[in-house]
Amino acid sequence: MASVSETVVDPAAATLRRRGRFSPGDAFLYGITLAAALSALVLLVLLARELIADAWPAVQEFGLGFVTSRTWDPSTDVYGAATFLFGTALTSFAALLLAAPLSIAIALFLTELAPRWLRGPVGTLVEMLAAVPSVVLGLWGILVMGPWIVEHVGPFLHRTLGWTPFFKTEPATGPSMLSAILILTIMMVPIISSICRELFLNVPRELREGALALGATRWEVVRGVIFPYARAGVAAALILGLGRAIGEAIAVTQVIGNNEAITWNLFDPGDTLASRIASLYVGATTKLQISSLVYLALILLAFSLVVNLLARVIINRVAARHQVSA
Amino acid sequence: MNLRRSAIVVVLVALVATAVTVTAGARSQGTLSGAGATFPAPLIAVWQQEYKRDQVNYNAIGSGGGISAITNRTVDFGASDAPLTPDQFSACKGCIQLPWVLSATSVMYNLDGVKNAIHLNGRAIADIFMGNITNWNDARIRRLNPGVNFPDRRITPVYRSDGSGTTYNFTDYLTSVSPSFKSRVGGPNTTVNWPAGVGARGSSGVAGVISRTEGAIGYADIAYALKNHIKFAAVQNKSGKWATPGLRSIKAASLADKKFSKTNELSIVNPPKGKKFLRAYPISTYSYVLLPLKTSKAAQLKAFVTWAVTTGQRFGPKLIFQPVPSYVLARAKSQLTRVKS
Repeated sequence: MASVSETVVDPAAATLRRRGRFSPGDAFLYGITLAAALSALVLLVLLARELIADAWPAVQEFGLGFVTSRTWDPSTDVYGAATFLFGTALTSFAALLLAAPLSIAIALFLTELAPRWLRGPVGTLVEMLAAVPSVVLGLWGILVMGPWIVEHVGPFLHRTLGWTPFFKTEPATGPSMLSAILILTIMMVPIISSICRELFLNVPRELREGALALGATRWEVVRGVIFPYARAGVAAALILGLGRAIGEAIAVTQVIGNNEAITWNLFDPGDTLASRIASLYVGATTKLQISSLVYLALILLAFSLVVNLLARVIINRVAARHQVSA
Repeated sequence: MNLRRSAIVVVLVALVATAVTVTAGARSQGTLSGAGATFPAPLIAVWQQEYKRDQVNYNAIGSGGGISAITNRTVDFGASDAPLTPDQFSACKGCIQLPWVLSATSVMYNLDGVKNAIHLNGRAIADIFMGNITNWNDARIRRLNPGVNFPDRRITPVYRSDGSGTTYNFTDYLTSVSPSFKSRVGGPNTTVNWPAGVGARGSSGVAGVISRTEGAIGYADIAYALKNHIKFAAVQNKSGKWATPGLRSIKAASLADKKFSKTNELSIVNPPKGKKFLRAYPISTYSYVLLPLKTSKAAQLKAFVTWAVTTGQRFGPKLIFQPVPSYVLARAKSQLTRVKS
């Protein structure tokens, strides 16, 4: 029974049946796709192996203490990752904090509130942001955004929020952690908002209309129907955006100011794992320094992996709860 | 189907045609690829225009990058302001270095309403880069500049974030004038752990941050200061005189070392006290070209480097590269015979 209905509804399966089971074309397709799938896996394994092998001298020299050590001193050949881990965590999570509400608001506007003729163009424009090469964004950060922060945004933030640890001093230079955070935010917004838009569009019409029929307001529909329905997906979108921020190297190197310091003051320069690797790898002079940079890369890989796994756990939980309630 | 087949044929023909023209072009004029220091890059850019025998490509990725590029033989020649360390020499497996460019590292600053060539001595510069002097109206700066009205403005030191021979030259100078810099920051090295300030990538990056940051101070080859119209300091030499980076002051500094080390090194940073060195600018340096001893492009490389240390030097003065003295030329010629194919 099942197979009969399949041949009827699925044209691809019907074609298969007509040509016979072992057509060379199918075998070819199977082979190619299998090889592609395997190559991704093999590549990841090879990459990890290479990273571990190259980082090994530094691992032996500094051990796990590398992760908590704040020194990065090429003069004495002593290295540690703590400042860069801190910088990566601070900039990427702060950027997520800014990008999340902004992106969700954009997606809501485009799916629920904007007049129909506006949705296409604005959506396309937002997505085009994602196509701006990061090195160009970085240049823009140096030339335009940096001076703007120093002259306008910085002094304002210092005046109004100077009592928090984040804006303690007047900003002195364009390159700063705040610059990096804003650049990362700009990079995350198109990713998160375009995924969220798809998610919101996929909310079944019946649910939406049902809520409206019950007399719900727009906001109540958003809060009571759309958000719960899309919750897991939105979480996944945020994690994708976060992954982008954690790994971004070039644009961050350009605007963060590359200084080894653990400070909450966002007007100070800082550094991240990825940007430290990008700025020093080509010019690394000693074997131990190169190895330490690869060690940083290994930590970056592990960091992203942990974030991704955590995200998966969260999504699964949310999704499970959602299914029960629905 | 026919249409598709003919399209494929057209594409194939086009591909073959490009391949043929590309190889033909390579035969008529060879290419030399180099990578390394940003310090000599302004002069090398002129050479690329003027040198006709071969096409020279140069990637200014920093001295450290130049050293690893030639070590891995991904380029035909490397360039570094920092002489190779013994470790780097052995890693490079059969490389020589030759001084081929002579210039100075300028101490650039951006201070509205303050004249060019303010006076700074080594100790003050070291204190600024260690974060001990943090304001332009600090007594230690005012004392050196009687009559100059300094604003109450925070000092932002700007340094190279990538591995850089200019950093080597600058820290070479600072460690020789300031014991506390030597013990606290260390060096000379192509990268050090700066206690204060912000980093920027490449000499042009440093120049860019300085020109956009009121109160900034940093270091780069003098050509970058001139090109970007950034003010630079007069630095006190050991004879007690104030010297700005210029052709004569660099030439005077170059007299400090005429004796090549075994590895063709010449160290002219912070020349001693003496009549010969009255004008000497203390942060002057040679920059080196790095060549493999065994290379298929030996003839091309020899021709290019010989041209660079002779005719090529003529283009230097405009960019404040002092033409290398005759003994450097002689040394280059004798050493180049070691490069073989």
